Amino acid sequence: MARRFKMSHPMAAAALAVVALWPAMAGATLGQPEASVQSDGIGLHGSIKQATDHPLYRVHEIQLPSGTAVREYADLNGFVFAVAWQGPFMPNLRQMLGAYFDDYATAAQSHGADHRHLEIRRADLVVQSAGHMRAFAGRAYLPQALPAGVAPGELQ
Amino acid sequence: MMRAFDRAVRYAAPLLAGLVAVSCGGGGNTITGGGSGGGSGGGPVPAAANVVSVVVGPGPTNTGINTLYTTVTVCVPGSTTACQTIDNIQVDTGSYGLRLLAPVLTLSLVPISASSGTSLLECTGFVDGFSWGPIALVDVQISGESAGSVPVQLIGDSRFPAVPSDCSGIGPPENTVAQFGANGILGVGFLPMDCGTLCAGAAVPTSYYACTAAGVCNATAVPVTSQVANPVTRFATDNNGTIISLSSAAAGGAASVAGSLIFGIDTQSNNQSSGTQTVLTVDANESDPNFGNFTTVFNGQTLAASFIDSGSNGYFFTDSSLPACPGSNSEFYCPSSTQTFSATLQGLSGSSTSVNFTVGNLNNLTGGIAAYPSLAGTTPISNSFDWGLPFFFGRKVTTAISGYTTSAGTGPYVAF
Repeated sequence: MARRFKMSHPMAAAALAVVALWPAMAGATLGQPEASVQSDGIGLHGSIKQATDHPLYRVHEIQLPSGTAVREYADLNGFVFAVAWQGPFMPNLRQMLGAYFDDYATAAQSHGADHRHLEIRRADLVVQSAGHMRAFAGRAYLPQALPAGVAPGELQ
Repeated sequence: MMRAFDRAVRYAAPLLAGLVAVSCGGGGNTITGGGSGGGSGGGPVPAAANVVSVVVGPGPTNTGINTLYTTVTVCVPGSTTACQTIDNIQVDTGSYGLRLLAPVLTLSLVPISASSGTSLLECTGFVDGFSWGPIALVDVQISGESAGSVPVQLIGDSRFPAVPSDCSGIGPPENTVAQFGANGILGVGFLPMDCGTLCAGAAVPTSYYACTAAGVCNATAVPVTSQVANPVTRFATDNNGTIISLSSAAAGGAASVAGSLIFGIDTQSNNQSSGTQTVLTVDANESDPNFGNFTTVFNGQTLAASFIDSGSNGYFFTDSSLPACPGSNSEFYCPSSTQTFSATLQGLSGSSTSVNFTVGNLNNLTGGIAAYPSLAGTTPISNSFDWGLPFFFGRKVTTAISGYTTSAGTGPYVAF
């Protein structure tokens, strides 16, 4: 909690900057600037919801027509370090993972377990995905870009 | 070492399966269901019209562990001669509908039309990839049960090679037997069709598509009657659910586990719901993210997005005290020795039961093991406990379909 209050001033400034830029930004791809949120919103056929501010990052939520929600996490410098999804249909991960998608797909293909769970854990990329028909959830993040103090488990 | 699991299963299993089958035949099992009474105690049941054999085995590609397979027969609608019997069909209570790998099909099946001049295709998203192919009607026969003109998906049909980018963006393709790990999948979960009113009312990207012969595809709305259907609901009787009855597996693993898939609940003498089993009602609201889920209390955590799923190959839950396996199996737990845990499963109506389960080290498995009762791993879903196929070992697990009645209540529920 101490950290939260300590961060609140710079965060407020950053939040103001975001508001000033809105709606030019809305939708973001992993490893890309926050402005890519906009292209993701279009690429995913989704509607972009209000961004949510946390002390260490901003969350942009995109609601897909399938009912699945996508959340994209940008650090205070506007770098998208994580994406997460939850809902009845798998999202278009190529759009969300950007340059990391091909690596992801290759790793996923050599993965032989079941159709319900997948984890890719590399030094530069972690993807955790699970679910069954009509109920999916997962996250992808760049471990080396995770802001100090952010735990992967909070990327939901 | 990091690839011990994948590689052992993929390459060593064919060589060793025969040997292990001899030595592991009738082993005991460490899983017990405290609190569950007459519903427990699985294994094959006597042959009957509503019973089909199932087996946990290596499957067609020797890649599987804890994967349940059966055999189905499909016919061109109305024909009694244009039929094909297909084995190695995965039995999955976590999906809905029958999907067949087109490369193994010898029948000539006509895709149904979506709108004028187009065929109806589907993108089926799985966690680990997508399966793409047309919808066709077939007559389904499983043991003595039959259903006419059931919409099924033909996965990987060479007549429709062009995949919409929204679909291929899900992940790698699972359009061949090698990629999919089965000749098809029989989804016998809680729902009578795979999408329902959502896809009937709107074109949903990453779901159903209308495609021209030239391969131009657009997402399309589909009436529920044309959606891929849980074949059980199309049987004349025995259509309100299923019971999976599996033998137990030796603690160290087995080359195979035998069992039965029984159709219907309280419709025949062999599928009576016993008064002593535990009935867990689940979230019945199809539009709720928790549809089909109940609550597990484990290690002080109350996990409201819990489910029982024959299509999951292990127990998947969060326990930070368990070490992850190294390398590409990092979602699995690899404790130095097998550990026993207990959890409480609570239905929405308040019934509950305590269950013991074990977590072992998959890197200790030898080649030829296709059934392992202690396989477990992590989940990124913070409030979930996924009771996968190991839960079914040594039990009878009943799945009642949403909206269908049984003596023990109206589905959806799961009982054991």
